[in-house]
Amino acid sequence: MLQSPYVTNYLTQHFADDGFATLEGYERLGGYRAARKALTQMSPDELIELVKTSGLQGRGGAGFSMGTKWSFMPKDGDRPKYLVCNADESEPGSFKDRIMLERGSHQMLEGILIAAWATGAETTFIYIRGEYAFPADCVERAVAEAYAKGYLGKNVMGSGFSHDVRVTRGAGAYICGEETGLLESLEGKKGQPRKKPPFPAQYGAFGMPTTVNNVETYSHVPHIVDKGVAWFQSFGTPKSPGTTVFGVSGHVARPGLYELPLGTPLAEIVFEHAGGVPGGRKVKGVIPGGMSMPVLPAGQLDVPMANEFLRERKTMLGTGGIIVMDETTCMVRAASVISYFFRDESCGQCTQCREGTGWMNKIIDRIERGAGDQGDIDVLLDVAGKMEGGTICAFADAAAWPVQGMLRHFKEDFVAHIGARKCPFPESFEL
Amino acid sequence: MAKISVDGTELEVEEGRTILQALDDAGLLMNGIDIPHYCWHPKLAVDGSCRLCQVEVEGIPKLQIACDTPVRDGMVVHTANERVRLAREGVMELLLVNHPLDCPICDQAGECKLQDYAYEYGVKSSRTKEPRRALKKRVDLGPTIVFDQERCILCRRCVRFCREIPKTGELSVYNRGDHSVIETFPGAQLDNDYSMNVADICPVGALTTKDFRFKIRVWFLENVPGVCTGCSAGCNIHLGVANNKVYRYQPRRNDDVNDTWICDEGRMSYREIGSADRLDRCSVRDAQGRRVVTSLADAVDAAAGRLAKLVESKGAGVIAGIASAHATNEDLFTFRRFLSALGSETSGVAVVRGEADGILVREEKAANAAGARALGFGDARPVVDRISSGGVDALLVLGHDALLETLLGGADRLAGLDTVIVLDTHASELQHVAHVMFPVRHAAEKHGTLVNADGRAQRVVPAVEPSWEAYTEGELLARIGAAMGLAGFDGRYDVRAVSKELSNAVPAFAGIDLDSVGDGGRALAEGGESR
Amino acid sequence: MISEPIRAEIAAEIARFPQPRGAMLRALHLVQRESGYVSLDAARELAEIFDIQPTEVMEVVSFYNMFFDRPQPKHHVYVCTNLPCSLRGARGLLAQLEAHLGVHAPGDTSDGRIHLGHEECLGACAYAPMMRVDGQYYEDLDAEKAKTILDALGN
Repeated sequence: MLQSPYVTNYLTQHFADDGFATLEGYERLGGYRAARKALTQMSPDELIELVKTSGLQGRGGAGFSMGTKWSFMPKDGDRPKYLVCNADESEPGSFKDRIMLERGSHQMLEGILIAAWATGAETTFIYIRGEYAFPADCVERAVAEAYAKGYLGKNVMGSGFSHDVRVTRGAGAYICGEETGLLESLEGKKGQPRKKPPFPAQYGAFGMPTTVNNVETYSHVPHIVDKGVAWFQSFGTPKSPGTTVFGVSGHVARPGLYELPLGTPLAEIVFEHAGGVPGGRKVKGVIPGGMSMPVLPAGQLDVPMANEFLRERKTMLGTGGIIVMDETTCMVRAASVISYFFRDESCGQCTQCREGTGWMNKIIDRIERGAGDQGDIDVLLDVAGKMEGGTICAFADAAAWPVQGMLRHFKEDFVAHIGARKCPFPESFEL
Repeated sequence: MAKISVDGTELEVEEGRTILQALDDAGLLMNGIDIPHYCWHPKLAVDGSCRLCQVEVEGIPKLQIACDTPVRDGMVVHTANERVRLAREGVMELLLVNHPLDCPICDQAGECKLQDYAYEYGVKSSRTKEPRRALKKRVDLGPTIVFDQERCILCRRCVRFCREIPKTGELSVYNRGDHSVIETFPGAQLDNDYSMNVADICPVGALTTKDFRFKIRVWFLENVPGVCTGCSAGCNIHLGVANNKVYRYQPRRNDDVNDTWICDEGRMSYREIGSADRLDRCSVRDAQGRRVVTSLADAVDAAAGRLAKLVESKGAGVIAGIASAHATNEDLFTFRRFLSALGSETSGVAVVRGEADGILVREEKAANAAGARALGFGDARPVVDRISSGGVDALLVLGHDALLETLLGGADRLAGLDTVIVLDTHASELQHVAHVMFPVRHAAEKHGTLVNADGRAQRVVPAVEPSWEAYTEGELLARIGAAMGLAGFDGRYDVRAVSKELSNAVPAFAGIDLDSVGDGGRALAEGGESR
Repeated sequence: MISEPIRAEIAAEIARFPQPRGAMLRALHLVQRESGYVSLDAARELAEIFDIQPTEVMEVVSFYNMFFDRPQPKHHVYVCTNLPCSLRGARGLLAQLEAHLGVHAPGDTSDGRIHLGHEECLGACAYAPMMRVDGQYYEDLDAEKAKTILDALGN
């Protein structure tokens, strides 16, 4: 596990320093200054306006404006308000939140504190996926330090504002990363997403107004408060400001984490930073944002890594989990792994998702085994199409998109697999 | 109120109702405006998972589920355009991917919403080549229900039902994704007083009742509207009839009485109609105390003769009548008239009492206790006391249960009476002491009205015809009265005429007769107990 | 029987939430830490503690990968076989471990000590192949390293 990304910026520049993970070290390196400023010099409305204007998009995959989300919280005080930090990172290809939890807990906590003041939340629930035992220990340690120093609990930093943090651990279910699936799991139930409306700001954790944000998103906040909007917007693109921590995995020489401005071309990340494909092989396809996002073929790696550009290529930034597949890769096999994942992780409520993920996986597996027919491709596309746009949450869409992406750019792999009645790529990764 | 438009039809609906609720309120759902659905049920919380009820709401980009979309003034809804049709087809095809081809052996065939909607809204042939998931096909879920996990479409109505109505919550969806399966806690049973309702609400043949399993194909059944007679709730039912036999009761929706539910005991009470201990012939007791079968005419004469003799020798004051809370208002009105014409002032109604459960089941375990009281029958206890103290020489009894179970504790307490005349549906201990016995029709075998605990008059109609000569209490009393020459009794009995007469004669029954109550019932002029 | 110390921890956790039920996942983790799985009896006890039906406890157990409803081997070994890991040879590694342990994953060794299975993405994509053994991550593996780790597992 890396102690620090290979390329750092304002979020991760101190991650190599073990002290940054301690309250004392974090403060020494400038930490909690922004929180003090926010709690003592800024009003909640000012803060919401600041974050809104900054254009900070959520870094958990959906890319929704954080400031706008905060503004949905009711202003009146008759019901307790909560924040949730979504640390359920389970998107295949993503491992950035993990390092933020292990090496930058205080930075995240500072962002949470500012968000709490801005939204009037009295408690934050940090929901960490069950398998992240060590990262969760790191967070709990940081929380204990913060309480001990008076940076959490009653009268934070003497500001008069009180805020509590509860760390809670999941138990292994990808769907608990979905906002309302998380809330259900937080409440001790199965993590089955809720119908919306009502949205969490009206009916969230334990029925109270709640805002859910991602680990990394919270981590940007102290920097924006400390150094301002103009500074923040000097990174990234006008529509997608700031940096993000990209994860690169798969067929690259240097898989790892890279904190880079949004808008950095995908090719730069893959070839310059991650060292390209080893062994002189060529790239075949790259998944840009975690496995839910449709794949891009080798010819489209010029795309700047920001939503406004990726959407034009029928894909999205997601969690910035870049998965590189070289020319040896059989895309039918890749699709088999992908579709199995979605079938396994569907919560099972909605007909299209429950049955569609199962059906797609069965078809793809059958093709992979060598028992496919050419008609299967149309059925596959049709099933994927039927899964889109009609379910309680976006999981069904996320399950459909990768299949559509594969068939959009790599249909020939499927055709060849069906025709040869076996995998036509002898060097492909094995299943 | 909100004005909305659904497929071009203007509707005025209550604000806050969902589209499905609004259509249901207006009686249009699946009855002019068809929005097929599985997981939604008018009497259960919204689930929103089947996704079949998606409709297009102008102004909203994505299709919306009608079960969870509150109406707004000016809303324009399309339920049958191409977009909606495709979405429905998608859901239907996906539901059928794993559903087993069990129709030939499945009880639900003929009343199966999967069959119906697949036919209407589904793709016409299956494209799936994949093996279907294999699960347990005959789970013994409890004393009343059999569960086929493969057929289940996971609409979760049964889970919600158990949590919301009997509040026993035995069922859960276990696992996730396409491994989801409905189960009880390991080792636990689906065992509550309302368990059989899950078979009604299950849209497919996943949950079926053990009682009905494999008995008959539902398309042979005629559904006759009626009322359950197990207690004073008066739950509305359909009697499922074929070959002049009642095969089952199912609850019939009545939002003023039982919603869409019935308790298991009431549902199973259909068995008393065809039970082996039905009285099927008239009989008299001979000098040696043995039962002798007689003709109707002889039995009528025997009864009339005994009563007349007593009137002559001791006066009508020694004659008492015990009414049954199972009898209809028409029968009881006739009984009242009979006793009055006779000159007897000693009468009452006996009712078995038990526990109410706060859901549907009421304390009084007969369907017409309130009707009997509204017709002037007081409690039967004073009558029994008078019997015990020797003041009664003749007793006319309509029905045995309350008399024996709660009042006398045994038929021998009547052994000393000069005359015991019994009009009853089923055999009982009374046959040892009865001098004359008449078989009477069950509520499922006649026309009549009954008043439930909430003061609602409801009607029954003949669903089956007994295979023996059976009579109503009213018919019998008409004949006995005529044989005795009582004023107002000419031997004829027309239930419709009696119903109208009753309506005119008793203020509480003003406007209430066999026709005016309809299939949904009508409240009496004065109310009964509140729920 | 859920032990007193665990009951006390559960009670403490319940106090930290606006509604008691929020403590359910932690309660299940605690029960499992003690017994290795959630027995029917434990589920009944938890149902009483949380004032819900036993089936509502068991349905939660069945939903999550990390909860078990039956006794477990002492050691749990999970190799991530999701896409990034598979691209870097995770499946081959798993096959080697299967051979080494004499198990067809997911499955238990014949002496019942070790369970070998797959897991979905564990957030270690750049350090693939990797495995999670008794909750601990082991990354940047090759077959030899992995076998050494497994051989060191105690009884």
